[in-house]
Amino acid sequence: MSEISRRKFMMTAIASTMGSVLLKGCLGNPPEPGNQGNSNTQSIAIPKANIPPEQMPEVKTVKIGFIGQTDAAPLIIAKEKGYFAKWGLDVTLQKQPSWAVIRDKLELGPAAGGLESAMVLTPMPYLMAMGLVTKGNAKIPMMMPLRLNVGGQGISVANTLKDTGVKLDTSVLKGKVSEAKLSGKQLRFAHTFKGGTSDMMLRYWLAAGGIDPDNDVITQIVPGAQLVTSMQTGDIQGFCVGDPWHLRAINQKVGYTALVTGEMWKDHPEKALSFRGDWALQHPKTTIAILKAVIEAQQWCDKMEHRQEMAQILSRDEYAKIPVPDIIDRLQGKINYGDSRPVVENSPNVMRYWEKGTASFPYKSHDLWFLLENERWGNIPKNTDLTKLISEVNGATLWRQAAQQMGVSAAEIPVGDSRGVEVFFDGVTFDPEKPQEYLKSLKIKRT
Amino acid sequence: MTVDYKRGKKNQDSLVESITNYVKKQAPNWIPPILAIVGFLLIWQLFTLSPESTLPGPIKVFQESYYKIFWPFAYPDREGTAKGLFWQIFASLQRVAVGYTFAGIVGIVLGIIIGLNPLLFKAFDPLFQLLRTIPPLAWLPIALAAIKQSEPSAIFVIFITSLWPILLNTIVGVQQIPRDYKNVASVLQLSQQEYFVNIVFPASVPYIFTGLRIGIGLAWLAIVAAEMITGGVGIGYFMFDAYNVGRTSDIIVALVYVGVVGLLLDRLMSFIASKVVPEEQK
Repeated sequence: MSEISRRKFMMTAIASTMGSVLLKGCLGNPPEPGNQGNSNTQSIAIPKANIPPEQMPEVKTVKIGFIGQTDAAPLIIAKEKGYFAKWGLDVTLQKQPSWAVIRDKLELGPAAGGLESAMVLTPMPYLMAMGLVTKGNAKIPMMMPLRLNVGGQGISVANTLKDTGVKLDTSVLKGKVSEAKLSGKQLRFAHTFKGGTSDMMLRYWLAAGGIDPDNDVITQIVPGAQLVTSMQTGDIQGFCVGDPWHLRAINQKVGYTALVTGEMWKDHPEKALSFRGDWALQHPKTTIAILKAVIEAQQWCDKMEHRQEMAQILSRDEYAKIPVPDIIDRLQGKINYGDSRPVVENSPNVMRYWEKGTASFPYKSHDLWFLLENERWGNIPKNTDLTKLISEVNGATLWRQAAQQMGVSAAEIPVGDSRGVEVFFDGVTFDPEKPQEYLKSLKIKRT
Repeated sequence: MTVDYKRGKKNQDSLVESITNYVKKQAPNWIPPILAIVGFLLIWQLFTLSPESTLPGPIKVFQESYYKIFWPFAYPDREGTAKGLFWQIFASLQRVAVGYTFAGIVGIVLGIIIGLNPLLFKAFDPLFQLLRTIPPLAWLPIALAAIKQSEPSAIFVIFITSLWPILLNTIVGVQQIPRDYKNVASVLQLSQQEYFVNIVFPASVPYIFTGLRIGIGLAWLAIVAAEMITGGVGIGYFMFDAYNVGRTSDIIVALVYVGVVGLLLDRLMSFIASKVVPEEQK
């Protein structure tokens, strides 16, 4: 003790004690408040399903990409509630930063470090199969056997246009549109992916009121995070996207919700689950097992009493990472438009995931609508054989097999592949049996 | 600490007196920086007092990101940005380690070869001067297009960013070996290997280490930017994800962590340099 000064020893002892106490307090996981995600939500393990040997998946581990928004709920719930495990799968959900990256990773494929399956916008697999959005115009074989959700999107408009009172009918905007055009700075509207669902819905909305989305205004891609900021700086005057951006725009007093997309087209298809076609061909049983798990999750998500818990799981950092208050309202059907309209409770246009099978079944008529709209705006060459394309990419057969194997009641398995005639808010009808007539009936188009 | 030994019998000071003496002596070194930091925090808080301010003040950052600040080791088993900040930084450091090591090896070896050979230097110098001004993020789209996968592309961006200071400083270091040294080598008829090990390398080591130190700083800068595009686990992607969902407080906490780690890396490099570089060269 005489060699080492007593003070030095005490200082070292105090420092190391304090250090270890500090570290111990900082190690491990913090206490779980509601917002951080409650790990006790699945204390009851779901028993594994009795899978007959001919239905056993070929592989157990699968990677599925997704975008952090409420549309991804079926995938997230299937993982968190143990449905994937129930059907013999070990699925890793990989959050992707944008639709462009999902397209890139599906292009790469699982062998080259990409993905074998991902959440997509319904038109995306078609655009990839035709080689229209891929590097070097390579045609990627794709398969889309399930719709993840219907409805639940919205169109927000900047407060600078609030005096026009534009909602569903965009003809009231014509004055401002021509004003802007004359001044040299056209009005701009944003969506999330060229040829995707929000692009098509936005264009339909504008064109229905007589505004040409390419010549009268500018439609462009703006990433989700920048939508509200761009609206604030006046760079865009409107956007079409999912949640929570519309409530953000209202809360930050930059815009209001002109409409929720269900008002334009009731229960319109939105996101879908897609697979690399070659992978799905080699692993059909795995694909069907994934579908079964997601279908069960969709049935769970559709029940309103589960939506609170669903929002809490979605709010976790590795998923949507959005605070529960920002998403819970619209998930439960409560819509605040941010203008003079009263707040709507129990809206019929709430996002749905199952709706007795009709929200989950990949109707070929819906794929056809998106392809026709893409043709309308010149994204797809005019005389493409759409029927052939749909038969290659649409995976309705796999959906039916999955539904039958897991015992979905016959009432909830759609009889045909078409949802029949669709009617839009402006009175236009779409008969899937007469696609060219539909195209002819549209006034503004590029073809 | 050893000053007290020289003062003789003061080992028997009471503990409190020793601590007070120590603090009193070190105070002039600590108090000004502490005051500056406190002042900075006060000004920051003042600027963001208004409720309409989009930037959170230090108090709000503390409140909102409480869990991120105090539990850096949390959730190692969860995916993506749910992991604590330590794991995010660890993932980024791993990428930096790989890219930087490659850059170090290639930079030093290539630098010595080109530095020793005036013809090679004349040939490559204009090319290097052009390439080194390209900002690291500008390399990312090319890397992604060529390599297609995000992880190797991010590592390539680190490599190409930290390569230039190491390479160019090594070249300079080799070129500035005084004529006298070379004359001594020819007088003593040293073999190529002896010349290299005993003269070239020790003479250029200080320059090499300057290059390495600059390189590590640039590499850390580049990884944060590269990760914003590539995604996954990493401090850069964590900041970009926080921006996407509007959690500005998380961005600020991550910024502080990035700064601290950058500082530690720099100090580590200079510590290694102080051990390797010969005393009389400093």
